[in-house]
Amino acid sequence: MEQFASVKRSKDGQPVRYLIVDDSVFARKNLARMIESFGGQVAAEAGDGLTAISEFDRTHPDIVLMDITMPQMEGIEAAEKIVQAHPEARIVMVSSVGYQENIVAALQRGARHFVQKPVKPEVLYEVIKYVLGEDGAVATAAGSGV
Amino acid sequence: MTNSPDERGAELRELFFETSQELLQALNEESLKLEKHPGDEEIVRSIRRTVHTLKGDSAACGLRELSELAHQFEDALSLESAAAHRALAEIAFAAADVFTEMLASYHHGGPMPPTEALRQRITELTATPAEKKNRRKKKSAEPVSQSSKNWTEAEKRAITQAKAAGLGLFDITVKIDPHCAMPIAARQLIHNAVRELGQVLVIRPDAKSPAASKQVEFVFAGMQSKEQIAVKCQIPTIAGEVSVSVIHAASGAKTLATVIDQPVASVVDVAAPADSAGKRAAPSHAEPPEVQTQNSDAGSAQTSTENILRVEAGRIDNVLNLVGELIIGKSMLQQALNEFGKRYPKELLRGKFADAMAFQARVLNDLQRSVMKIRMVPVEQLFRRFPRLVRDVAKQCGREVDLELTGLETDLDKGILDAIAEPLTHLVRNAVSHGIESAEQRLAQGKPARGKIRMHAYHQGNQVVVEISDDGRGIDAQKIRTKAIDLGITTIEEASRLSETEALDFIFRPGFSTAEEVTEVSGRGVGMDVVQSVLQRLKATIHVETHIGQGTTFRLKLPLTLAIIKALMFWVEQRLYAIPLNAVNQIARTRESEVHQVDNYEVLQLRNQVLPLLRLGRPAASDVDRKSSKLFVLVITVGERKYGLIVDALEGEEELVIKALDDQTFSTDLVNGASILGNGKVVLILNLPAVVEHVARTRSQEACLTNSGLLLNHADRTQLGLSVTGGRA
Repeated sequence: MEQFASVKRSKDGQPVRYLIVDDSVFARKNLARMIESFGGQVAAEAGDGLTAISEFDRTHPDIVLMDITMPQMEGIEAAEKIVQAHPEARIVMVSSVGYQENIVAALQRGARHFVQKPVKPEVLYEVIKYVLGEDGAVATAAGSGV
Repeated sequence: MTNSPDERGAELRELFFETSQELLQALNEESLKLEKHPGDEEIVRSIRRTVHTLKGDSAACGLRELSELAHQFEDALSLESAAAHRALAEIAFAAADVFTEMLASYHHGGPMPPTEALRQRITELTATPAEKKNRRKKKSAEPVSQSSKNWTEAEKRAITQAKAAGLGLFDITVKIDPHCAMPIAARQLIHNAVRELGQVLVIRPDAKSPAASKQVEFVFAGMQSKEQIAVKCQIPTIAGEVSVSVIHAASGAKTLATVIDQPVASVVDVAAPADSAGKRAAPSHAEPPEVQTQNSDAGSAQTSTENILRVEAGRIDNVLNLVGELIIGKSMLQQALNEFGKRYPKELLRGKFADAMAFQARVLNDLQRSVMKIRMVPVEQLFRRFPRLVRDVAKQCGREVDLELTGLETDLDKGILDAIAEPLTHLVRNAVSHGIESAEQRLAQGKPARGKIRMHAYHQGNQVVVEISDDGRGIDAQKIRTKAIDLGITTIEEASRLSETEALDFIFRPGFSTAEEVTEVSGRGVGMDVVQSVLQRLKATIHVETHIGQGTTFRLKLPLTLAIIKALMFWVEQRLYAIPLNAVNQIARTRESEVHQVDNYEVLQLRNQVLPLLRLGRPAASDVDRKSSKLFVLVITVGERKYGLIVDALEGEEELVIKALDDQTFSTDLVNGASILGNGKVVLILNLPAVVEHVARTRSQEACLTNSGLLLNHADRTQLGLSVTGGRA
């Protein structure tokens, strides 16, 4: 996989911490791999919405990557609950084209962005930089070693 | 990253193949449910979710054909009419099969299965709802895109209010990136971004109009500069060209806050389409609680996968092996300590050593148990395949069958579980196709029309028992006898002497099948003899219990683990052997004079039971010695029968770590492993079912010899001796 310039937290220069929520273990590992290539760090993973909420409360990640269709509690509801409790939460919805309406609903409920499955690393990278805004800093070439 | 990208890619692929098996399993289970409750939307939704995940994962893995097919199926499932389609469960089964084959061909190479038939069936699903589609179309064609300058009354009012508040008015047009596959979501995101800056007064075109996927236009009221707004709208991956023009410059007379306090009517109006999108999403939004109840089993599986670490089985085997070595080390220490104690009986240090040893032994025990536990998986993993199998076979044979699974939480070694999959499949197939009668026959016999098959697993001592029972016609021992005579396996007079249990054992002989039993469903590949041989390899036993007209039960007794056994060791002709301790019922002493000859059996009357005797060695040479010499007899159970095993001397019981003996150095099935003791001695572990079998065979061959109990002939023993010394190198 191609290597990206690391994106770090601008406040302390630490790796950006992620919560990955997807009911497919495979999808989670796939996302985790991309995140690591961005110099990020997986703070936690969750396989359903309920776990996502408790994992968010436990780890306070910088970014949540959230699938839409999941058992127990769907991504939209989980995203909404997280945003209600933590308005600063940055949630990026990850889903297939067929779920556009759900993504729209999630965006109305406080999700910050979305990426389409299958996730392309370069797209996710741009989205993450955007979502982090001023809180994220792209490391210079010298400091990009992971 | 620690691994090279290639390695990680391969790892991910493996993970995909693993998880996809679970998805297909879930698909099968959901389809079964749907077949029972046709038209249940909740089940259709969960099928759709499963297909969706499969689609996503396979796409990410680059398996295009699979993801496309899954996508097509998922799309079809999202139509309301599809849920009501009668044949949906059928199609879902077909899809599961095709997906399975596709995965197999991706994984192991080989030709792709034909997908046309499935595609056709999926298209059928989508084709029926012609009117509904039309309705959808009409809906989407409704809003005529308006020219941006044709403000509605409400919009005009909002604009006037904003002007009055002294805010700048802007016209923002953002082109949506043509590569973005979800333009409506993109539009929402841009809307979100703009809304953060100030008041969105107008948004168009309507979300549902086709033009909405190309660009979005806002009339916006705020305090920012044109440039600030433009930057905010530059959202990567979704926004293309952004143009901002000033309609009315800000006068700055009032603050933004005051405007926000006054809700602007038009915003509500304009937001309506977006709201309705929200409403349409609402059903899925309200879904979770229902899913929970319906999905409770799948749900718990999901959560339980949460903290699961996937480890290659080989690594665990390695650890287990090392634990085995430690156990050998422990017995070496024990031995040394014993010698030490003998040599320095008054040394105080002995007690300290003994304490340390006892402590170490306890920890080692725990360690061994925990490592073994890692390999344990609930039989549910295996049992859950069977509902689909039973359904398919029952359909093929025109039977009505219910399957009951119990004891799902019983743990079993993963290796054993995998190994018994095939035998179990065969037994269940047989139960459906031969065991259960047709509905008419059943009714005529006063049984319920639907047959019942039950799979039950439970722990029993150091074993796990798996039972497969049906309430069908049972096996007629008389028929088996007749068949065995026809096939020349036995003679008429011998057959008449066989007990029912013995007669039933014939069904495990290679090539044994009664004529009525041959159908297209059973007898494919695995026969009962294969069932038997697999079980023997596992040191498992199978027992049949049948009642004519009431049904048959196959009872499999499996060891908990293959690696370590508690064994009883004994000497025969200066050689050390071991047998599993749980096969031993009692140890008795007797004299040769108590041994009687009945036909060609040597038997021993022990209290109130008569035991056939098995001899590993030769009987003492002269008759005089024979009468007086004392014997150790181990009363052992093989299958459901008891035998007396004559040994020269006992050594003791010990936990043995079984070292497999490979086929090249070893060619007898009488022994299924060896172990090294603390003192470096090698002990052979006897495979009791094979030993009993061997005696039965040699008995008929050597019928003329009186002392036919001889088990290992000279050649056999030399071979054992040779290979053991060879194995120690």
